[in-house]
Amino acid sequence: MRPHLTPHLRPHPVLALVAANLRRHSRDRVGLFFIVVMPFVSIIFVGMAFGGGAASRLPVGVVAQDSDPVAAAVLAELRAHPDLEVTAVGGEEELRAGVRGGALAAGVVIPPGSARFELVMTESSGSGMAARSAVDASVGRVAGVIEATRAATAAGATPAQAAELVRRAQAASADVEVVGSDMASGTPRGFAYTAPANLLLFTFINSMAVAAALVESRRIGMLPRAFTAPVRRGAVLFGEALSRFIVAAAQAVLIMVVSSLLFGVSWGEPLGVAAVVGVFALVATGAAILMGSLVRSSAQPSAIGPPLGIVLGMLGGCLWPAEAAGETLAAIGHLFPHAWGMDALLTLSRPGTGLGDVLLEVAVLGLMAAVLLSLSLVLFSRRTRTL
Amino acid sequence: MNDTLTCENLSKSYGGVAAVRDVGFTVAPGEAYGLLGPNGAGKTTTISMLVGLLKPDTGTVVVGGADLAADPMAAKAKIGYVPQEIALYPDLTGRENLRFFCRLFGLPRREVRGRVEEVLDLVGLADRADAKLDTYSGGMKRRINIGAALLHRPELLILDEPTVGVDPQSRKSILDGLERLVADGMALLYTSHYMEEVERVCDRIAIVDHGSIVAEGTRHELVELVGGADRIELTLDGDVDTAVDKLRGLGGVTEAVRTAAGSVRLIAEGGRYLLPSVISTVDGIAAVTAVEVVEPDLEATFLHLTGSTLRD
Repeated sequence: MRPHLTPHLRPHPVLALVAANLRRHSRDRVGLFFIVVMPFVSIIFVGMAFGGGAASRLPVGVVAQDSDPVAAAVLAELRAHPDLEVTAVGGEEELRAGVRGGALAAGVVIPPGSARFELVMTESSGSGMAARSAVDASVGRVAGVIEATRAATAAGATPAQAAELVRRAQAASADVEVVGSDMASGTPRGFAYTAPANLLLFTFINSMAVAAALVESRRIGMLPRAFTAPVRRGAVLFGEALSRFIVAAAQAVLIMVVSSLLFGVSWGEPLGVAAVVGVFALVATGAAILMGSLVRSSAQPSAIGPPLGIVLGMLGGCLWPAEAAGETLAAIGHLFPHAWGMDALLTLSRPGTGLGDVLLEVAVLGLMAAVLLSLSLVLFSRRTRTL
Repeated sequence: MNDTLTCENLSKSYGGVAAVRDVGFTVAPGEAYGLLGPNGAGKTTTISMLVGLLKPDTGTVVVGGADLAADPMAAKAKIGYVPQEIALYPDLTGRENLRFFCRLFGLPRREVRGRVEEVLDLVGLADRADAKLDTYSGGMKRRINIGAALLHRPELLILDEPTVGVDPQSRKSILDGLERLVADGMALLYTSHYMEEVERVCDRIAIVDHGSIVAEGTRHELVELVGGADRIELTLDGDVDTAVDKLRGLGGVTEAVRTAAGSVRLIAEGGRYLLPSVISTVDGIAAVTAVEVVEPDLEATFLHLTGSTLRD
């Protein structure tokens, strides 16, 4: 039966709860620091390590003999690369120690007279991954010259003619501008990678942290008291869920706006990005309410949320590219929302993509959100049923 | 006059274990009704059903003519509930908390300011209204906790241990305020561990034990249930065991027990008039160093009916 209320008693519990919750969050200075400042500290530092910083050049050690023509050509290419700072290293052991110790982002060993090079790097290092990308490009250019020369010689040209033909081909190719070739083919680097990664990371972590207020409301009996007002139980639950969703969505929007303005990050098609960020914020909301329903102390969400968020972020490729983690970890990561979120946001950051390219990711995240929200709201409702 | 609260045959079980059995009572406008019972007696479950948090297995609750099951919104709008916990946001100010409850109860925006000021004056916190709640003293928190339940001018105010942990001055202030509300015609349902509070505030009292109301009536009616027996507490110096044996044989004494090394408790009809006989009975056996005569009270009634003290 539809309850009939006198006109002066038409409740607005959802707005009342949202306003009260947002006012409480706005007074939590530590919480605000983690929402407003920390994501950008992380984006800047990790982004620069990934190659997003304008001034930083990645130190790469090389063990090679200048007298070897192939080695000389590769060295010349590496030294010409704007992102690399090439250092000649005396031996392989020294090179490995440098990479292990972090003094070198990566190392290249070029055996004399061989066309097979050895790349030394740490897979978990973002700068190592960036250095690898630059080394691959340089080596690829040398390999291209060698192959072109070999092809010209096989076609009957003298070495001098072959060299001239290759020089002409290189000059012609210099006129062709390739825009964002690395963006289109592989994992984005720098801020283009760390901005979406930190969006997912901090949206989730800060949602879990604000669950502390939910636990506090439950613990002091605020919610059972609200249920004694002339409002529907569902309206109170919706108000609590909406408050958490607004915090999660605000965190995501803040990161998107600031990273676009300050770091020039291109997020991609707005509709697709809104869909991905929206469903991920719902996932974070569900996780926050679940946390708020399960734990007893308001100190627990702050203690459990960040480590949990970081682990899920690691598995999902928010701390380093998923390919660096290997296939097994990447597969495990896809049991959780961060990996799907990263897949979707990185896809959308590539030119020419849109919502249609991330429908699977949006559907999976939507399913996760539905399961988490249903479970958490049922549990939360039960936990607040008695005084 | 129609009762403000009528509940009948309320029962609630959890997994086959009855928490509340067939509870029923009424509270009239301008009447204060007390629920007394030890922890686990079923008071909280009863209140949870009265405020609409729990659905009873059987029974009905009618508040101000509105059936809680059939028309919960109308019934809840007539109830002000004051929980035992300070169920307010500690990081909001007193005024912000009251405004929140105004909005939760759907009060029109134009009325909110006036109601908040009215309640702040009523609970004596107008000068601290803009301070955060976590800076309030225990007594101030208790007062604003009650104030939050008065904003929508309920017909029935339900209070669950509203004075726990407050200083005597704040307790007096709260009880004075409640008596004024009752005098103004509000119906009050009151639970407390403090017997003297219930005796002071409540017109009628129900004693609840093991989920049932075991006795109900005015204070006088309840005390009459245990008869007119007084309790006499004696402190003796000498042969206490022999003195106890002698006292058991004294006419009018229904019970004589040694409660500590030199302490003896007597239960006797018209005990206060037996004192000369008591002293002469133990003369030469033990010296009476202290005597206290306790007339029948609610505590004794509670003990008699439930076999435990209220704070057990």
